Amino acid sequence: MRSASSKDASAFLAFDRSGLAMRASHVLVVILVVAAFGFAAVGAALNDTFYLRLATEALIFGGFALSVDILLGYTGLLSLGHALYFGFGAYVSALVLKETPSFWAAMGAVLAATLVFGFITGLIANRVRGVYFALVTFGIAQVAAKAVYNTRALGASDGLIGIPIVPINLGFMTVMSNAPVAFFLFTLVFVILLYVAAAYLLDTSFGRILGALRVNEHRVPFLGYSTHRARLSIYVFAAIIAALSGALYPMLRGFVSPELMFFTTSGNAVITVVIGGVGTLAGALYGSVILTVLKSVIGTMTEHHLIVIGILFMAVVIFLPKGLMGVIRPRIARRLRGGAR
Amino acid sequence: MFKLGKLYTLLLATTILSAPALAADPIKIGVVTPLSGTYAPIGQQVRWGLELATKEVNASGGIMGRQIQLLFEDEEANPSVAVQKAEKLFESEKVDFLTGTVNSGSTLAVGQTAERAGKLIATTVSFADSITGDKCSPNVFRVNARAGQQSAALAAWVAKQKPKAKVYFLGPDYEMGRSTVATFKRTIEGLGATSVGEVFAPLDSKDYTQYFGQLRQARPEVLYTSVAGNDTVRLLTQMQDFGLLGNLLVVGASGTVTSQNIGAIGAAADGFTTGVGYSTQIDNPGNKKFVADFKAATKADPDLYGADSYGLIYFYKAAVEKAQSTATDKVRAAMADLKWATPQGEKTMRAGDHQAIQPMYVVRVNSGKFNIVGEVGGDEAIGPDECKRF
Repeated sequence: MRSASSKDASAFLAFDRSGLAMRASHVLVVILVVAAFGFAAVGAALNDTFYLRLATEALIFGGFALSVDILLGYTGLLSLGHALYFGFGAYVSALVLKETPSFWAAMGAVLAATLVFGFITGLIANRVRGVYFALVTFGIAQVAAKAVYNTRALGASDGLIGIPIVPINLGFMTVMSNAPVAFFLFTLVFVILLYVAAAYLLDTSFGRILGALRVNEHRVPFLGYSTHRARLSIYVFAAIIAALSGALYPMLRGFVSPELMFFTTSGNAVITVVIGGVGTLAGALYGSVILTVLKSVIGTMTEHHLIVIGILFMAVVIFLPKGLMGVIRPRIARRLRGGAR
Repeated sequence: MFKLGKLYTLLLATTILSAPALAADPIKIGVVTPLSGTYAPIGQQVRWGLELATKEVNASGGIMGRQIQLLFEDEEANPSVAVQKAEKLFESEKVDFLTGTVNSGSTLAVGQTAERAGKLIATTVSFADSITGDKCSPNVFRVNARAGQQSAALAAWVAKQKPKAKVYFLGPDYEMGRSTVATFKRTIEGLGATSVGEVFAPLDSKDYTQYFGQLRQARPEVLYTSVAGNDTVRLLTQMQDFGLLGNLLVVGASGTVTSQNIGAIGAAADGFTTGVGYSTQIDNPGNKKFVADFKAATKADPDLYGADSYGLIYFYKAAVEKAQSTATDKVRAAMADLKWATPQGEKTMRAGDHQAIQPMYVVRVNSGKFNIVGEVGGDEAIGPDECKRF
């Protein structure tokens, strides 16, 4: 570490530390995008379907993990039921698409419905703090998942199938949701936009309040800010990010099932964020890609894949407490600082 | 001319070299089934059944001279995982056929994936009527009996034992519980019985005695229940304690009393009757050989999942040999109205909805054992073709 020298210490003062770390995240996301374009080119050349669609799914779950990181990493809220919003988005999108196969109608409906649904459930969840928050979010998700599981109009335990292939009209071109390369690139752009929106929001003064909430919630009111309003707003925002990611799921796979709302989905997202690096945003995307690929590869090799994933998770928590990003991001940040000087 | 001659030689050489290689290429069958989690015991039976049949077929020369190769993937009883694994097998491994899905959600979702990939699948386990009913697919086949067949067999037997019976229904309060009760009620009322009441208890109820008052007042001759697991243990033992089991015929869904909870129910299970698609007691040479071979290979008894999965390999073999091809359209056409031999006897694949027609059995518990007390012909149990898509 060179940061011991006084030169670096002054450089430290010149740059906002978190701003630098965030810029390092942006660089990592740019690297991910470049790698994704390379991957898409190779996939297109080899006429691949499976890996492109697997990567698309990884990005969709990456968008979902992003929303978990907004809560966990930036606001200090551990939600154990966040799959509720992912599944909610998926179901709303599926129901709209079955009526009318319009991408924009589905997205509009998901946005509007999640705003209301996230606000109502957020009011309940945000009455409590800490471990109780984790338990209440878990509870709400279980209740909702069971309700869906037993509602015939929503397909009950069978889920909904027959969601049509959707043409996504972008004005200058139309992407079909079953075209492996095109839909992969579309999902990439979509998730990057979610990332940009989240990164922008967290960089505003509102984002600073969230940071303050995480560090010392009792002090925030003394500074003249409402903690309740900030917590509720970010909760709804995270719900919307999760739901918009979930809305892409039925377009890719053509079905939705109550398992999308189950604890396994919520738990996976938390594992994704921890492996990628809590509070880095980029880590959520990297974590999702790593976990999805690992699960697919190890799952084929052995039926004991859950043990392997479990050990990996423990190893990361013990040896890399800041996740993958904790190893890579400081190096990028150092280079950025060096470059700026 | 010389050049042309060389070309011919080359062509000839490649034909000679590639022809035997093609014939020896294995036929790949993908198996997406739960190998971990709650449904792992079912996945285990599926695996054993498929492996036993594959071994037999391969030993006797394979299908059209090609060996069968099974490729297993764990679906964790989760449709999202199942679909991803199925796509891997279809697109990357280029499997010719796929099977193994257990929960109905997975079968429906994988069926749709198969339809979009232009491949065929069959389930050997899922029993939701919708799979070959309103959500049927031209690419999905079912070789096992659906819920409606179990219920029809049981209803036919009850109607014979107790004509114009008064029936009471007690189901678990969730979607599946309510739909099984509704199906049985419709079937038995069609056979002349009268319903005298129904009640739905929450899942995991500790106390069923609160329903016994209404039950007694209704004076039923038959009680139909579709509770499962530990709920059955509590329901039947509490009924025994209250002396309700005398003069009452207790019948139920096939999952109500199983080898897992029969020990805990004890004597209260005696007399419980249900309709099933398979029993190790089925008295035919094919089944006796199957049970003996299965035990020798796995040191366990086959259950209906093992038996139906075993039969599936012979179903596919018969279809491919009839079609003389593994191409989707040709195999699909060959599977229509196909008859093939299984441990349960001969089954027929109904062309209209891709549902197998098979004889159904009525089994009754006596001192901890299921005994076959009746058999209902395939045509009597199959029910109408409700598939409108093809």
